[in-house]
Amino acid sequence: MSLTDVWVSFPYLIMVGGTLVLMIGVSIVRTHAIALGLTLLTLVFALAALDIGWDHIPAEGYVLFSITRMTGIQVFFNVLFLLGAIVTALFAYSYFDSRAKRCEEFYILLLTATTGAMVLAAATHFASFILGLEILSISLYAMIAYPRDARHPLEAAAKYLVLSAVASTAILMGMALIYAATGTMAFAEINQAAAGGEQSYYLLGQALICVGIAFKLSLVPFHMWTPDVYQGAPAVVTGYVATVSKGAVIAMLVRYVHANDMLSHDGVFYAVAFVAVASMIVGNLLALMQTNLKRLLAYSSIAHLGYLLVAVLVVQTARPELVMETVLIYVVAYFAITLAAFGLVSLTTEAAADETEFLESYTGLFWRNPLLASVLTAVALALAGIPLTVGFIAKFYVFASGVEGAAWALVWALVIGSAIGIYYYLRIVYTLVKEVKPGTVAMAQSSTTGTVAVTVLGIAIVVLGVYPTPLIDAVRTIVQNSGF
Amino acid sequence: MPPTEHVLILALLLFCVGAVGVLVRRNIIFILISLEFMMNACALVFVAAGAKWGQPDGQIMFLLILALAAAEVAVALGIVIQMARRFGTLDVDAVSGLRE
Repeated sequence: MSLTDVWVSFPYLIMVGGTLVLMIGVSIVRTHAIALGLTLLTLVFALAALDIGWDHIPAEGYVLFSITRMTGIQVFFNVLFLLGAIVTALFAYSYFDSRAKRCEEFYILLLTATTGAMVLAAATHFASFILGLEILSISLYAMIAYPRDARHPLEAAAKYLVLSAVASTAILMGMALIYAATGTMAFAEINQAAAGGEQSYYLLGQALICVGIAFKLSLVPFHMWTPDVYQGAPAVVTGYVATVSKGAVIAMLVRYVHANDMLSHDGVFYAVAFVAVASMIVGNLLALMQTNLKRLLAYSSIAHLGYLLVAVLVVQTARPELVMETVLIYVVAYFAITLAAFGLVSLTTEAAADETEFLESYTGLFWRNPLLASVLTAVALALAGIPLTVGFIAKFYVFASGVEGAAWALVWALVIGSAIGIYYYLRIVYTLVKEVKPGTVAMAQSSTTGTVAVTVLGIAIVVLGVYPTPLIDAVRTIVQNSGF
Repeated sequence: MPPTEHVLILALLLFCVGAVGVLVRRNIIFILISLEFMMNACALVFVAAGAKWGQPDGQIMFLLILALAAAEVAVALGIVIQMARRFGTLDVDAVSGLRE
């Protein structure tokens, strides 16, 4: 192990070390504020370590322990995961402070889940792929079930546990079959090795891996778990599942498809294209009927992952730099919007015993809490992809990639899906400004840490939409100066 | 050493048995056992493939799967205990309450 190894793996070491310190800390003093402080400290140190480690990463990437490779893109994703975890920790403080009796262990799970996401994003080998995925998923089961006294989180955790474990085993079986057919488990080598080997096992393996990934990304037709889990999980955890866990899988997926040229096989391409189109259309159609804000956001996230898949699909036909740029900008936008959305749900329901997640209870929020209502308006408009929000920039990028890759059917599905989406996103805005009916549930006044976090996210959504140049420049520099 | 093909067929059969078990069983403990079937089928393929290629990688993956299965089952049983305490049943249909 060389000194460069240490520098590049420093963020991971800090995350693991921070988890251990927090674990011991919680067993000595049980104070919610100290647990939050240690968590934030770990996450901020890891961010600093990423910055230091980046100086040691050459342009073509740095191979770490032969099963992961760090490039600028991985550093970018890791920064996003850490920021997502910081925001989640801030929301969790407001959310659990008033609800759970013992809330300190939640932060341990948050740190391990984030570590898993960081490993998954850097994976170049099946071993690191499955290891990162499982560290992430197993932490998530416990995070979803965290409020032990409530009924819905437990049910959601049981559902997520079974379905996510089935998806993991499908991925494992796929890996095993590919290994049996090719004799290698490195992403970049399996394609060449498969050319001379048994194609049937190889293709069955790829299909199983695709199914498992589609499950994890909740793409149609593997989306059945999403609304139930999103609704049942505590809102802070839902935000984390929707952003960091999916972002990590996307980071891995882009590298996987790019490295092994999987989509150049016609059958695989059309299957994945079908999944993307189905997600965009079905996700948006099912969201039309929802009266529950969390379920609405669940269907909306199905559609958004469908949009993102368009960019992944054109990885062979469009310029890879443009595809990577699209994915990074889309993920940034999706993180900001989704974290703000679920943060809002968690804030508005703080004092209530059960969550006031029905759209109805947000009636006239503008006249009661203008700040939160403005942020929710920005979120709804950004999800719809209205100009002057970051959602528009992201959608424009996907559109541009689709056009450059000449994937016209996908571009049409994107347009139709977005058009359907506008209806229910605008319904949220309409609900917010409606007159307050007598007898609607009064919403609790929310606490400071969460409100600050949600306001910052809301400002980011608008500012990055009005003036996106710094973000685009930063992403472009990273993409052009680093190999995949 | 039996031919790799035979082991692969056996493993795929085991995998299907597990998958069917997850789908038809209503008791969460049996669902978890079925999941264990599926995981071990994967492990079997890895070991057979490792032997076929003469590499230790397959067996390393087997150990990795063992560890992952143990971690998963530890969390799963925690959730099962909570379910039993809270709902008084392990039937997944009886527990299901999240609806549109």
